[in-house]
Amino acid sequence: MNAGYSMAGTSNAGGGGGGAGNSNSNGSPITNIAQDHIITILLLLPIDSILSFAMTCKRFRALVFSDSLWESICRRDWGPKSVDALKSSNLHSQQQQLPWMRLYKQVSRLESVSCINLTYTDGELVLPRPRASHSLNFVSDCLVLFGGGCEGGRHLDDTWVSYIGKDFQKMLQWQKVNSGIPSGRFGHTCVVMGDCLVLFGGINDHGDRQNDIWVGQVTCHETLGITLSWRLLDVQSVAPAPRGAHAACSIDDRLMLIHGGIGLNGLRLGDTWVLELSENLCYGVWREILTYPSPPARSGHTLTCIGGTRIVLFGGRGLGYEVLNDVWILDMPETCLKWVQIPYELPNIPEGVSLPRVGHSATPILGGRLLIYGGEDSYRHRKDDFWVLDISAIPSINVQPTTLNSRGLLAKMWKRFQAIGYKPNSRSFHRACADPSGRYLYVFGGMIDGFLQPVGSSGLTFDGELFLVELVLQL
Amino acid sequence: MSSSSSPMQSTGRKLKLKSKDDETFEVEEAVAVKSQIFKYMVEDGVSNGPIPLPNVNGKTLARVLQWCQKHADPTITEDELNKYDAGFIDVDQAVLYDLLMAANYLNIEELLKLACMRVADMIKGKSPDEIRRTFNIKNDFTPEEEEEVRKENAWALGP
Repeated sequence: MNAGYSMAGTSNAGGGGGGAGNSNSNGSPITNIAQDHIITILLLLPIDSILSFAMTCKRFRALVFSDSLWESICRRDWGPKSVDALKSSNLHSQQQQLPWMRLYKQVSRLESVSCINLTYTDGELVLPRPRASHSLNFVSDCLVLFGGGCEGGRHLDDTWVSYIGKDFQKMLQWQKVNSGIPSGRFGHTCVVMGDCLVLFGGINDHGDRQNDIWVGQVTCHETLGITLSWRLLDVQSVAPAPRGAHAACSIDDRLMLIHGGIGLNGLRLGDTWVLELSENLCYGVWREILTYPSPPARSGHTLTCIGGTRIVLFGGRGLGYEVLNDVWILDMPETCLKWVQIPYELPNIPEGVSLPRVGHSATPILGGRLLIYGGEDSYRHRKDDFWVLDISAIPSINVQPTTLNSRGLLAKMWKRFQAIGYKPNSRSFHRACADPSGRYLYVFGGMIDGFLQPVGSSGLTFDGELFLVELVLQL
Repeated sequence: MSSSSSPMQSTGRKLKLKSKDDETFEVEEAVAVKSQIFKYMVEDGVSNGPIPLPNVNGKTLARVLQWCQKHADPTITEDELNKYDAGFIDVDQAVLYDLLMAANYLNIEELLKLACMRVADMIKGKSPDEIRRTFNIKNDFTPEEEEEVRKENAWALGP
């Protein structure tokens, strides 16, 4: 009976626990409890308490330092999806059992990423043209790219797919799949729900904002090829105003949350809506979330769901055109949904002055944290830095956090990561997505600094590069 | 001493239980089925004689049945139940472990969870030394070994 329990909080201070009374003076009664129960108990504790327990005697040290316990801890803290994905990719490369304790330790001490250029430079293959404000998703073992804006402010309506499978180092082979539907647009969002994509909104090159929803389904087989079909979703309620450059994320494979964006007349919005899809993904119902306070109006920001229950909003450009760095959290499921701002002082963070940004990417990575990359500041300077945002230390309304430090000290919220290997250009309005294990991030396109040319250049260059960002771990 | 059934809507059926030290208890079916093993027995049709429970003593069984009764009561609010549980589990270690093992043996998931959480709370936030004192664990590390383990864990516990 050692299934991992999620840690429900008790307000018991745990102090004078039940006296010294052990009527059997034969050593400590806790050693008489079956091992399975001790493991169940350990899985209810934060890491530092588990390790303190290990330090009490040889028997408990041996118990704690077992990889099967740490696999359960990884499952508890990172989510079963990540762990299963790590296991299946490990099986694929035929290694022995993964060293879970070492892996956990490394993930919590991560401080660098390594970049690899995946752009296939063989002239024979047709590649997606350079673009920005497109959508890029990892779904059904494939990378899917749709739309975006390109040179001349024109929109694109092409869908590209590349099969990746479990072997993440393979050179990508893009295949153009559809053209025409959905209609061309940029600044739309596309989220993954199970093995489907849900695309919403965006702006076309006439400046029309949209609020239509498209569901894309990938069916792929390594030998038989890939097909992707898009269809329009039937919306059975009032829909949010049409918009582009908003933020969206999927929650738990059944809901989609959106916030803000640029609506009709170029006005920045600050509303929050949830879309609930029917089981067969045939129709959807929108519901507005009205809470106060809530994140002020903005565009070019990010919404990311961590662990299926917490949504993090970061950055963007506000009503006064200022570039933001505020962090807001929405905890689901709660009976009373509300946004909570997480205050922090920029001067308290090393190099924190570079945090405010718009057009960045925020992707959940292994270990339940967000990897934030690129974007631009209020002077339109594009960035190439990697930051990791860790909100695990922040208590939600009901549940107590599992943190490295149970003494209640706030774990470091922001950490700037080093980037080794290939050095991609600084960029904004690129897109990034992670594979199921959360170890690898694919980044495509965006706007990079243009070369100053005497003839007709606006100084803006659209990038068509694809590169891989890998968390530096030693397995 | 048989546990008194409080006035509840009863199906009328009662189960007879016998602890390892031969104490007998009469329990309402609705209360007994908090334990998964009784649940299956009830569904299969019970025998007439008392059900022997050789792994639980009378004192512990009495406590467990008291808990089951409280938790089978449909009129209790969640708040009251939480308060009751907090008081119920605030016992000394010997009793706590007896409850834990009984809850496991009788397959009462909620009670097992309650007991485990209590033990966890007794460990949480304590230093190794404090944990040893709470549970009377003998430190069998040599000073060198202890230092080695401390270094191993520095990544999470600090230098």
